[in-house]
Amino acid sequence: MNEAVERLVDLRWPSQVKSAYDVVIIGGGGHGLATAYYLATRHGITNVAVIEKGYIGSGNSGRNTTIIRANYGIPEAVRFYQHSLEMYGRLEQETGRDVMHATKGLLWIAHSEAGVRQERARAEINTAFGSKTEYVDPKTIQDICPQLDMTGQGVWPIYGASYHPSGASARHDRVVWAYAEGAMRLGVHVHQRTAVTGFLRDGDRVVGVETTAGSIAAGVVVSAVGGHVTTLASMVGLRLPIRTHQLQAFVTNRYAQAFGPIVASSGLGVYASQPAKGEMLIGAEIDRAPAYAYDAGHSFLRSCAFRSIALLPFLRDLRVLRQWTGVCDMSADYSPIMGFTGVPNLLVTTGWGTWGFKAIPAGGEQMAELIATGRTPALIAPFALDRFANDRTMADRGSAGTH
Amino acid sequence: MVTDSVLTHLLRRGEYLTDGGALCLGGDCPHCLATVDGVAYVRTCQTPFRQRLSVQAHPAGDLPRLESRGERAPVPARTIHCDVVVIGQGPAGRRAAEEARTDGKHVVTLDSGDGQDAIGIYPGPLVVARTNDSMWQLYPRDEIIVATGAAEIQPVAPGNDLRGLVTARATTVLAAAGVTLGRVVAVGTPPEGVVATSVSGELVRFEPAAADPRRVGAVVLRDSLGTEHSHPCDTVSLGLGLTPRDALLRMARGMNVRGVGDVLLPPDVPPCPLDGTVCPCSGVTVEDLRSVHARGFCELDLVKRATLAGTGPCQGAACVPHIRAFLAAQGADLPTPFTARPVTRQLTLGEVAAGAHHVATPRTALDAEHRALGAHMERLGGWWRPWHYGDVEAEYTAVRTGVSICDVSTLGKMQVSGPDAVALLEHLYPVPISSLATGRSRYVLMLDERGYVADDGLVCRDGDTRFTLTFTSGGSTFAELWVRDWAESLKLDVRVMNQTMSLGAINVTGPRAKELLVRAGVTDPPGFLRHGTATVAGVPCRLFRLSFTGEVSFELHHAAADSVTLWQGLMRLGADLGVRPHGLEALMKLRLEMGHIIVGQDTDFDSTPRRLNHEWAVRLEKPSFVGRAAILRTNKLPLDRQLCMFEMDGNAPAEGATIWLGAEYVGDVTSSTWSPTLGRSVMLGWVRLQPGGNDEPDELPTKVSIDGQHARRVTRRSFDPEGIRARA
Amino acid sequence: MHAPERLHCTRIVATPTALDTAAWPGGAVVLRVAADEALVAAPVELDVVSDPHAIVEPETAFCGVWVEVEEALAFLERECDWELPTERPAFAQGAVAGLPVKLWFAADGDDRVLFVVPAPFVVDFVERWS
Repeated sequence: MNEAVERLVDLRWPSQVKSAYDVVIIGGGGHGLATAYYLATRHGITNVAVIEKGYIGSGNSGRNTTIIRANYGIPEAVRFYQHSLEMYGRLEQETGRDVMHATKGLLWIAHSEAGVRQERARAEINTAFGSKTEYVDPKTIQDICPQLDMTGQGVWPIYGASYHPSGASARHDRVVWAYAEGAMRLGVHVHQRTAVTGFLRDGDRVVGVETTAGSIAAGVVVSAVGGHVTTLASMVGLRLPIRTHQLQAFVTNRYAQAFGPIVASSGLGVYASQPAKGEMLIGAEIDRAPAYAYDAGHSFLRSCAFRSIALLPFLRDLRVLRQWTGVCDMSADYSPIMGFTGVPNLLVTTGWGTWGFKAIPAGGEQMAELIATGRTPALIAPFALDRFANDRTMADRGSAGTH
Repeated sequence: MVTDSVLTHLLRRGEYLTDGGALCLGGDCPHCLATVDGVAYVRTCQTPFRQRLSVQAHPAGDLPRLESRGERAPVPARTIHCDVVVIGQGPAGRRAAEEARTDGKHVVTLDSGDGQDAIGIYPGPLVVARTNDSMWQLYPRDEIIVATGAAEIQPVAPGNDLRGLVTARATTVLAAAGVTLGRVVAVGTPPEGVVATSVSGELVRFEPAAADPRRVGAVVLRDSLGTEHSHPCDTVSLGLGLTPRDALLRMARGMNVRGVGDVLLPPDVPPCPLDGTVCPCSGVTVEDLRSVHARGFCELDLVKRATLAGTGPCQGAACVPHIRAFLAAQGADLPTPFTARPVTRQLTLGEVAAGAHHVATPRTALDAEHRALGAHMERLGGWWRPWHYGDVEAEYTAVRTGVSICDVSTLGKMQVSGPDAVALLEHLYPVPISSLATGRSRYVLMLDERGYVADDGLVCRDGDTRFTLTFTSGGSTFAELWVRDWAESLKLDVRVMNQTMSLGAINVTGPRAKELLVRAGVTDPPGFLRHGTATVAGVPCRLFRLSFTGEVSFELHHAAADSVTLWQGLMRLGADLGVRPHGLEALMKLRLEMGHIIVGQDTDFDSTPRRLNHEWAVRLEKPSFVGRAAILRTNKLPLDRQLCMFEMDGNAPAEGATIWLGAEYVGDVTSSTWSPTLGRSVMLGWVRLQPGGNDEPDELPTKVSIDGQHARRVTRRSFDPEGIRARA
Repeated sequence: MHAPERLHCTRIVATPTALDTAAWPGGAVVLRVAADEALVAAPVELDVVSDPHAIVEPETAFCGVWVEVEEALAFLERECDWELPTERPAFAQGAVAGLPVKLWFAADGDDRVLFVVPAPFVVDFVERWS
C-alpha cells in the first residue's frame, strides 16, 4: 500500500445535520477545524458543527505553501506565532497523526543595505521575544544553502540574511485532516458541501445560520472563512477592514531531496522550498489589486520563475508542474483579526492574509478558549477587531510581503 | 517521413528508458519520461531524435536529481497578435484553421507534432505555447479553437507496468515506424493497419514473459462466464476508450473558446478498476483507493489529496478516468474532473521565464559620475544612489566643517497650477497654504484619511496659482496618484506635472556652502526657507534654502540634462574649499544628529503626527484637510507610543535593537548612529508609554537600556538645538 | 541600434481642449502622452496653448533613438506584450523590455520608429536591446 495512505486519518462524517448546536463554525479549513478540535479536546464542548461550502481544506488551507515560521516584526506577533510554531512541533504527538512536519530553517535574504537593516531588526525583535532568529553573513548563508547564487545573477547580490532555524513546514491537508478527525472523533459534526446563505437573528443577536441544508440554530457563530469574509460579514451589516487579494504559487515535478532550507527574498519577492514529496514549491507576493478570482496568471508565472532562477540557478532546468491561486484576506494593518465583532454571538477569525497556515494551532486554541470562557485570552487580545476603532493597529513590517 | 522521436528511435533498437507501462505516444502517459540534455521529465515520444542528444533514464527507484547542468542560452519570447489561435493540428484542427483562413482571418496554429504545445489559456485571452526554440504569447482577437483531441485510456490491472504494452493508436504508429512488435494481441478497439489477434473479455492481468520478466508474455482476460483465458503475446495493443484532452477548454471557461473534434467527446468511463496501479506517477493502487474511501475520502479532490493520485507529471491523464469509475461504483455521482490549471504541458522554469526582466532600478543623471568617483551604489527609495564614496567620516566632516555636495535628484518634485491650486493644497496638507507668500517654502506632512503620515516634503509657492511640491524619493509615485485622485474627486481645476525625473537636484551643504555658490555666480542666495532662481556654474537653477543636514544648505533644481555640468562645475569651483560629495550613509548620520525623521524608516504606516512628535506640523484650527477628522478622533484616545530621540555613550546599537525599561520591553530603535561631533551615539526609536499610576497620566520612560547599555531619552537634540547653523 | 541620445523637448500640461487646439511648431514630433499632457520634441513658445494655467517646461528627462522599422518590429516581437498600432504615423506607449517606453511610428514613406526612453532607464534599455 501507498505509504501516504497507510498513515491516513479516518474521517467519520455525521449522518445528518442537527437543527441546533452550541457552536456553529463557518468554514472547514484549518482555523475552523482547529477551533472545533480545541473546543472538544480542551473544553469538552462537542455539540459543535463546522459548516463547509466545498470539501474540508478546499480553500486557502489546501492552497498555501505550508511554511511555519515565527520571525515577525512586533512583539505581539512574535509571541503568537512562536506559540503556534511550538504547537506545530507537538501536533503529531497531540493528534497521533503524521502531518509530515519537518524543521527546515528559513533564510530571509537581504540584497541591499536597507534589506540588511530589516533583517537585523527582525533578528533583534525575534530574539527579544523567544523566537530564534539570527543575522548571518554570506559565508554562513552559503553553508546553509550552497545552491544560492551569491551574486544574484550579478543583479541582486546577497549581503546577508536573517536565519530562523525553527522555520518548518508540514503537509497542509494532513494538518486539516488531523484536526477534523480529532474533532469528529469526539462528536463534532463537520458538514461538507453546505453553504451558509444567511444568519438567523433575534434583534441584534445572531442565533444561527441559514444554510443550503436548512436553518441551524447556534449559541455562538464563528466565522472562520477565508476569501469571502467581507461578503459573509455584510450579511449582518458588519464592515471589516479587510481586502481580498490573490496570492499565486507554482510547483515543479518531484526531485530527490537536496534542498534543505526555506529561502525567501524580499528584494526579489520570491520564496522557495522543497517539501517532503520532492517538488520545489515557489511563491511570490500578493497581487496588489484586490480580487476574489482564482485565475492563474501568466505574467506571475513568467516573472516569478525568472526571479527565482536569479536566486537559485538550478531551478532553470526544473519542469513546472502546476500553478494555482489562493485568495487572501488582508487586514488594514497586515495582522489577523480574532474575537468579538460587536454583533452579539458572532465571532470572527480572519485577516489571515498570507500567514494563516502557520497560525492554525494557536488560532484554533485561542479562539476555542475565547468561545469556552467568553473572555479574550491575553495572547490574542492585541488582535481584536476594535483595535481599528481604538487606533491600536498592529503595524507589522515583519508580516507584510511574502508568505 | 516525419523525424523520429527519441522514443521510437530507441524502441526500434529494442532499448527502453523506463520500466514499462502502456505507451501512448500522444504525450498523455508518464511512461516515456526521461532525462534529455540534463532536463528530467522530458516526454521522449514528443522529442525529435537527433545525434549527440544526451538521453538518460531516470534513476531506478528514485526521483531525478535536483540540479541543472551547464550553461544554457536564454529562451527567446515572441508575442503575436492574431485573430484566431487553433490549438492542435489533427484533422479537426486543420479543418478549423482552414475555415478561419478562408474567412480572411489571421490564424496561428499550434501543432504538437511540431513541438508546439499550448501550456495554458489565461485571461486576456492569452494562449501561451512552448515551441522547440521559443515561447509564444498569442493574443487572439476573435477566438481560440481547441482541437487537442482525446487521450487513450490506460489499462488498470496487475502487470500494467510491464514493457510491451501499447495503446491502440500508438501500436499503429510504432508499427509504421518499423518497431518490431512481435505477436500483437489487441484488447478492445484493435489498432489500425497492424496485424493483431483481437481478444475480448474483462481485462484481468498482464503476465511477464518467461524470457524477460520485465516484458509482457501474456494477457489474461475473463469471459462472461468467469473463466480466465491467457493469450500469449509480445505486445498488447490496448483500445480501452477515449477521454477528451479538454483541460484547456475547461481552463478557458468564460472566454471566447470553442472545441472542435474529439476534444468534445463525452469521456468513456472504463469499468471500475479491481486491482493494480491506478496512478503510475504517484504509485497509487486500487487497494489504496479502497482504503482512502473507507476512511471517509469520498470526493474526487479528497481522494487526489489523500493519495496524491493525479499530482504527478501526467496531471491525472492516466488515473482520473479510473478514479471516477471507482467513485461512481461506490455509489457517488460520476464526479467531474479536477479543476484545470496551467500548465497543461510541461516546460522548464527557464522556458517559462522567457522574455521576463528584473524590475529596473532608475539611475539619476549623475549615476556615471558617482561610479567614476568609486561610489558604492545602493538601491534606496527605488533608485540607485551613492551609499558612500569610500570614506564616510571624511564625507561627514566635509559637511560639518567645509562644504559638500549630494545628489538628491531622486526627490519627488511636482508642479501644481490652476485656479483651484490653493484649494487643492489646502485640502491636501494640514497647514495653511493660502497665507504662504510667493517665494516662501513650508515643511509639510502628507496625511492619509486615517490621519497617518504617508510622506513629507515641501510646499513652495511660485505664484498666486502656482506651486512646487516635493516628496520623498520613495513616495513620489504614490504622491502623484494622491494629488491627482483628490483633484479629480473634488472636481478642482488644476494642472499637475510630476517632474521627478525631469529635474536633477544637488544639495550644496556646509558652513562654506554660500561661499561655493558665490564662486559659482550666485550673487544673492535666498534666505532660510526661501527659494529663488539663479545661474549656477552656467546652469539655470532654482535654489531652495532648507536644511536636512543641519548646516546651511541649498538645493539646486535644474534640468536633468545639465546635472553633469553643474556637478562638475561645483566640484571644480570648490576644489580648494575641500568640496567632496557625500553619500547616503553620511547623510543618515547628519540628519540623525539633527533628529530629522525619514518617513518609511522611522515611521510605521500607523504613525500619527502625535506619535511622531510632529504635532507642530498640523494645524487643527484649519477647518478641513485630509486626515483631520481622524486626528480629532484619535487625539481623544490616550497616547500609546511615541517616536523619541535617545543618546547613549558607546557604540551605536543596531537599528531594530529593542529598548528596555528594566525587564520590560518598551520599544525599538529605528535609526541609530555614532555622532562624531557629540562623541556619543544618537538614536530615534519607538517607545511605549508606561502607566503613570495614582491617576497620573501615562508617561514616557527617561532612562532605558538598549543593547544592555544605559541610554537616555532626550527631548531636545544636543547638536545645535537652536538650529543656528542652518540659518547662518 | 545606436545608443539613445538625450532629447531636448517641451512638456506641456494643459486642459485637453487647449492641447487639442494647439498650433504646434511645424515638423515637430508631438507625443500626446495623456489627455492633459503633450511631449513635443522641439522648443515651444509659452503661449502655444490657450490655457493660461498651462505648465510649459523644457523637458530633458527622455532619450530617443530612431530605428529602422524592420529592426524595431523584430525587437518588439520579443519584448513587447501589447498590440502595436498599424496606422502611420502613430504614437504608442507602454512596457517594452520591462521599461516604460514611448514609440513614435513615423508617417508613411519614412520607415523608422522613434524609441523614447526615460533617461534613468537608458542603461537598462541598451542592455536589454543587445
